[in-house]
Amino acid sequence: MNWSHVKLIFHREVRDQLRDRRTMFTICILPLLLYPLMGMVMLQVAQFHREQHVSIGIFGYENWPSDSPLILDSSDPSQIRWETLTVDDSIGATLEQFQSVQAQTNSEVKNKSTESYIVNGKAAEKLLRQVHCDAVIWVPPGYHNSISINPLVILSNQRWERSQLAIRLLAEKLEGWHLSWIRTQLAWTELGTALVDPLAIRQLDVSPPEVKRALVWTKILPFVMLIWALTGAFYPAIDLCAGEKERGTLETLLCSPARRKEIVWGKLLTIMCFSMGTALLNLASMHTTTSIVMTQFSQLGATDMVASLGPLPLHSMGWLILLVIPISAMFSALALAVASLARSTKEGQYYLMPLLLVGMPLVMLPMIPGVTLSHGTSVVPVTGAVLMSRALIDGEYGLALLHLPTVIAVTLYCCFLSKRWAIRQFESESVMFRDSERSSVAQWIRNVWRQREDTPTSNESILCGLLIIVGLFFGRLSLSGMPLSWTSVVQSTLVIQVGIILAPALIMATMLTRCVRKALRLHRPRPLEMMAAASLAVCLHPTFMAFAAEVGKEYKLGEQTNSMLMQFDSIISSTTIWQVLLMLALIPAICEELVFRGFLFAGLQRNGGQLRAILVTAAFFGLSHGVLQQTITASVMGLMIGWIAYRSGGVACTIAFHATHNSISMLLAWYSNRGLNSPHYLSWAIEHSDGHLAYTSTWCALSVGIAITLIAWFATRGSVLSNPRSSIGMNDLHQQRVTFTA
Amino acid sequence: MDFVQVQNLCKNYPDAALGEFKALDNISFVARAGEVFGLLGPNGAGKTTALRILATILQPSSGSVRIYNFDVTEQADFVRHSIGFVSNNTAIYDRMSAWEFVEYFGRLYALPADRLYPRMEKIFRTLQMEEFRDCPGVKMSTGMKQKVSIARALIHDPPVLIFDEASLGLDVMVARALQSIVMDLRDQGKCIIYSTHIMREVERLCDHVAIIYKGKLLDTGTLEELADRHEQNDFEELFFQLLTKGDKGHFDAKPPVDLGMRIRTASTASQGRAL
Repeated sequence: MNWSHVKLIFHREVRDQLRDRRTMFTICILPLLLYPLMGMVMLQVAQFHREQHVSIGIFGYENWPSDSPLILDSSDPSQIRWETLTVDDSIGATLEQFQSVQAQTNSEVKNKSTESYIVNGKAAEKLLRQVHCDAVIWVPPGYHNSISINPLVILSNQRWERSQLAIRLLAEKLEGWHLSWIRTQLAWTELGTALVDPLAIRQLDVSPPEVKRALVWTKILPFVMLIWALTGAFYPAIDLCAGEKERGTLETLLCSPARRKEIVWGKLLTIMCFSMGTALLNLASMHTTTSIVMTQFSQLGATDMVASLGPLPLHSMGWLILLVIPISAMFSALALAVASLARSTKEGQYYLMPLLLVGMPLVMLPMIPGVTLSHGTSVVPVTGAVLMSRALIDGEYGLALLHLPTVIAVTLYCCFLSKRWAIRQFESESVMFRDSERSSVAQWIRNVWRQREDTPTSNESILCGLLIIVGLFFGRLSLSGMPLSWTSVVQSTLVIQVGIILAPALIMATMLTRCVRKALRLHRPRPLEMMAAASLAVCLHPTFMAFAAEVGKEYKLGEQTNSMLMQFDSIISSTTIWQVLLMLALIPAICEELVFRGFLFAGLQRNGGQLRAILVTAAFFGLSHGVLQQTITASVMGLMIGWIAYRSGGVACTIAFHATHNSISMLLAWYSNRGLNSPHYLSWAIEHSDGHLAYTSTWCALSVGIAITLIAWFATRGSVLSNPRSSIGMNDLHQQRVTFTA
Repeated sequence: MDFVQVQNLCKNYPDAALGEFKALDNISFVARAGEVFGLLGPNGAGKTTALRILATILQPSSGSVRIYNFDVTEQADFVRHSIGFVSNNTAIYDRMSAWEFVEYFGRLYALPADRLYPRMEKIFRTLQMEEFRDCPGVKMSTGMKQKVSIARALIHDPPVLIFDEASLGLDVMVARALQSIVMDLRDQGKCIIYSTHIMREVERLCDHVAIIYKGKLLDTGTLEELADRHEQNDFEELFFQLLTKGDKGHFDAKPPVDLGMRIRTASTASQGRAL
């Protein structure tokens, strides 16, 4: 690669973007203006809110206990403006009406010894408008003699925000009055006022204020930065790809000495530069503004929470800047690849939303309470990096160092994949020179029908996988209300396995291919290979169990899931083992293998895409298992089964492997739940431990050795070469290119 | 010397309706140094596809294309240094001046500063671009943009120049100036592939022509040869006849004629300044 070309393109693109007023406004001017303006508005709103007064009218204040006045003199600093009102005939009738209405309803809100009633209705609204108050209190006659018996009527209209505020302030006022009244009453007795506050608490917070401030910011700032990094990447990406296509300048550049890879690198660095610039400018502007605004807030007597949002410590800024580099790189490459699909700037903007929607959950995940840096979260792209920066800001350097290699490896790998995707987009003629061809759905269907081949295309396979995942999502939601019984287990298994997983693949195989047998990769079973596959499942089962246990430790199951699993265990233990094996081992194995290692694999492995087929089918297989823990373990197991599918050339061996694996799991669960011990002749392999059946260490060690031998046998066996493969034509080559770019 | 050799060139595109669309079907022609080779055809005939393959922007589905004796697939880097491509959309960057634009491409072609800037001065002077050398692309007229595009294509002094409907949208004055530039370049011994569907331009400029229609080569030769072969002296009428026959399927691709029989048909060499 010629880096001088990259440098030239980078310089030109940066200069071009800097001359673009729209880009400069979004990237530089907007961050510099946005936060100060927001801060100014917030200050004004706070000032307005603080100075906003509500008026509360009181009817019959003469009935209030005279020794503890509710209304203080004019020096009362509260936001309440009291209006003492007199009851005339019409108002008196309305108040009487409310008293009778509230007595019949249960909508009473008890407030210590004072019963207050919030009555809604047109009459109340009319009354409030009549007296020009946000809330009204009616103190009934004789209230001062029997405050705990006579109810205090409070009228408000909760549709009005001022009325809501009035009620809140009134509640605080009454609470204070109430405590004061109790203290006064107790002072007259021998009990003393200590009864009001029986538990003396002094709370000490040892964390330094700047660390507390950082804690709040670590949740907010990475989110803000990532959103801006994405936004800052996308607009230059649209201009540098779709914009160039639209203007016709890309064609000129493509026939220059700069290679596609060099063009991508030049553009990628430009986008990354602007993405980082946007995020950092936002960070700086936000930091400066909040420093000023929060200082003002604290002077205004803001709440503790607001006061804790002081300026971010400077060392934290350093960690955030480090975070933005890899994230910007990844988002920039993704944005470049996505933008290269667009033919015009307008079309490019349509693609912004899906990318934002895909990126958003990864950014939001670290904001969920309780999500911290761990082995599990560190492997999640973006999330791991955010949690890493948070750990560094918190000063947890040991934890950060432990997960640093994983986070760096995952982030770099994602950057690499994104960059490679972007380069492929630029190398694809169908992407670079897509014409706005007009085609109807009917034409497309005719074309698909006419061009059917023995096996599905990779696009058809991926579509099938997506349909299944979506179907499973809705299917499981609709089945979740069913009572747990063996009948419901059978029903849900059949609906999911046959109706949702197998049916789409069978329909697509029938309609979109010429040979269902080849589309599902059904071939004559080879007994030796099937036996080897089943034996491999037996030997890998201890390893798989250990892996599943580790996953379970890292990603703990929720209480609800645990209780459901326990119910499920009790149901299967009350059924015969043959029924369990048929419904939960054999049928899922057949259905899932025909789909994932059959239809999906057949399409994805075309044109030398075996690795892609193994990876993608494993991902779909994992996602088809609804629980996160199962998704992880099933994906890893899917890789193994995918490899067997590749080596054996069909689904017979994978069905044998899958069915054996499921059967062993079910047998162990069934025996354990029934409290039965394993057969005596298996005592060298299975033992009873903590009420469950578990593998002995002897068998664990031995199984690994045998498994390696069997894997080696599969690897060296040449059966894969003897399998019929679909013919590769020009259309296939194009199809593969389209798939990669889709 | 054969600067451009196209042999059995095919290009297929995926098509929603047909499954596969043959944009170019077995096209063969040869263009030599010091001649303007006209690539003629109506809209959608495959001219732009052919020229994009020549410019290494697209890959051929089959067949071979050699530019200045370099293969467009295997030696694309050398080919790019040997061609200058001027497309019909006068594509220049809106926020770059004419000078910056040409300088950018000159540096991409790795021209050293002591060679780049004198050459830029010369090209700007010859193409009469000095008045708007600092004008940003967005403020340029179509004619100015086309001149900048030509300057960009000439900056590295390539032996082969490809003009893809370069006169499209230009007014008479600018179109005439463009023709003059093309004739100058031919007189300097450059090989020029000139795609157009304007017959008058063909008659004025082209030494040899190849007529393509619906991806197929209908005929190729000098204008005189075509006129003799089809017994029609009016070239526009001849062109129309060929297309009509092409629609009826009367034509098969013909092998390239011997370019040694070159007869200049229309123009006299311009006395303009050499580039």
